[in-house]
Amino acid sequence: MTTAKLNTLLPLLRAVLASVAAVAALGANDVRADETCSSPYLARIEGQEEFVYVWTLGVEGLGDGADKLVTIDVKPGSPTYGKVIHTHSLDGRHEAHHGGFTDDRRQLWLSGLETSKIFIFDVYTNPAKPRYVKTIDNFEKITGGAVGPHGVYALPGRVLTPCLSNSKDHGGRTALVEFSNDGDYIATHWLPTKDTPGIAGAEFADGYGYDARVLPRKNVLLTTSFTGWKNYTRAFGDLAKDAEAMKQFGNSMALWNFHTRQPKKVFRVPGAPLEIRWAWGEKHNYAFTATALGSKLWLCYEDDNGEWQAKEVAHVGPEGGVLPVDISLSADDKTLFVDCFGDGKVRVFDVSNPHKPREIYEKTIGRQVNMVSQSWDGKRLYFSSSLLARWDKSGDDNDQFVRAYHWDGKQLKPAFDLDFNALKLGRPHHMLFGATKIGS
Amino acid sequence: MNLNQVFFLTILATLALAASVLATDLPRTAEHDYDAPRPGSYKLPIVKPAADGEVLDSEGQPLRLRELTRDRVTVMSFIYTRCAAANACPMATGVLMDLHRLTAEDGALASKLRLVSMSFDPLNDTPERMAAYSAMGDSRKSAGEWRFITTASPEKLKPILDAYGQAVDRKKNPRDPTGPLNHTLRVFLIDRKGNIRNIYSSGTLDLRLVLADVRTLLAEQPN
Repeated sequence: MTTAKLNTLLPLLRAVLASVAAVAALGANDVRADETCSSPYLARIEGQEEFVYVWTLGVEGLGDGADKLVTIDVKPGSPTYGKVIHTHSLDGRHEAHHGGFTDDRRQLWLSGLETSKIFIFDVYTNPAKPRYVKTIDNFEKITGGAVGPHGVYALPGRVLTPCLSNSKDHGGRTALVEFSNDGDYIATHWLPTKDTPGIAGAEFADGYGYDARVLPRKNVLLTTSFTGWKNYTRAFGDLAKDAEAMKQFGNSMALWNFHTRQPKKVFRVPGAPLEIRWAWGEKHNYAFTATALGSKLWLCYEDDNGEWQAKEVAHVGPEGGVLPVDISLSADDKTLFVDCFGDGKVRVFDVSNPHKPREIYEKTIGRQVNMVSQSWDGKRLYFSSSLLARWDKSGDDNDQFVRAYHWDGKQLKPAFDLDFNALKLGRPHHMLFGATKIGS
Repeated sequence: MNLNQVFFLTILATLALAASVLATDLPRTAEHDYDAPRPGSYKLPIVKPAADGEVLDSEGQPLRLRELTRDRVTVMSFIYTRCAAANACPMATGVLMDLHRLTAEDGALASKLRLVSMSFDPLNDTPERMAAYSAMGDSRKSAGEWRFITTASPEKLKPILDAYGQAVDRKKNPRDPTGPLNHTLRVFLIDRKGNIRNIYSSGTLDLRLVLADVRTLLAEQPN
């Protein structure tokens, strides 16, 4: 071996030895920034979030009336901390709902539930001013009839989009759709129904969809179920009086083999289970969800025999229910924040024992509250108000805001409050964290 | 045994140790705690065509990247040799090492599978350095093809990174102990027609899954 070759290999050996040591050191204390509910495949923010991106529904007669991406400065010490520093309005209203990043965090995808359009922004070139790139506007055609793209979930080199409906009857039967990070269609996976062969619990399968999230360590994908286009585009007061329509809500969760994208088991979870939050602990093989109509917390977990199960673990709020919507699990898996649209409160549960959640705190955030995003260190929480354009409360109860709080482990203390009505921005929905420093 | 030989064996033993947790004959690991799927029992839809580009082999000879992404099932890993991030390049190279070892023991696999390690750090990863890096490979003659390539310049590299969606940035601290570059981990599975069929990152780069995918593609009709 020549000296030159030796010199070449020496750093390599050091690198490998360092990596082996680092692998050995990896564990539950692996410190990362970012929001706790994001995809495990997503590149992480280094340090604290600097921006909150808010996917905002336009309101007719308010400002420009268009759906828009709103950027809020949340960098500590910044002269514009807690202020809107950028907006980008899109053409028209699309029922702005959820969004997500590509795994390299260079693009932010925002979906419209009503028009089935997905808007793609560059958040890499200048994270303070997201730049519109393009729109996926032929969703129904390329996916073979899926409509109502809901979430945007980063997978390696691709994006998973769980949907809410279909073009055939605009009911709840729907699919998961995959795109490349370039925005090119890859595949459609329809949610299991009673006729899907080879799955346990097929009798509970209703084909409905909502959220989709992966626990990589166990190679499982979990999906939940909401309702179809006909229901979520209808005024809630009108819908609630229609007994037949109110039966058209999802009552299931499905567990899939993630790698093969094949459903394996369906659980009966009555009352529209919505957001899924997998625990982060390296031996924590469980996820929480909340049923909006049932007002319950459910746990999906692997039992001692290696079988996946689902069970109700807590009631949320007083008798009659409070429409729990978004939930956020702390990075240490000990605290679950539950936003309740019905009474505008966040309820905080100690979930150290996931089988026995215990409510420890509650606070009124507004007259209505929907989404919550939590920083990885658990110290900052951001709340937004809007559920759906036609389901939000009316009159004085139509509070529209982004409110930030500091959490000290016992109580929430206000950090800033942005009134989206007064600012003529619209109805704020999903919030995502941005930063100038992104790691691997 | 002279010092150089001891050093070289140390490297190989260390890398084997790093990679051994991913060996197929181990049923499960803490990070991959599931059974691998049966090859052919599932589909791998086309993600996108594998892009072409101008590259250099480890002898400094120019060639087109498409020559290394056609006719065989290809597992291509984007790496840089200074990387010491736990779940990044060393992990990817460890999986390719295991695959290479398997080809040495499976003639059919050796004749149909190609491994490619492609650097995204051309100013440091010269052809000579890539040649040194190729010491990772199984030295048995029966082992399959494993190519170590780089590019002549950042300008030649950029269109390749853009086409494959390989994000690379310089860290603010060039002396970061895990290496000077931030990057997503990307390993591509490419079929015989040059289509990307899967993309792995640290959460999915399990040797058993890669091997199941390779065998799934090999079971497909070539045309």
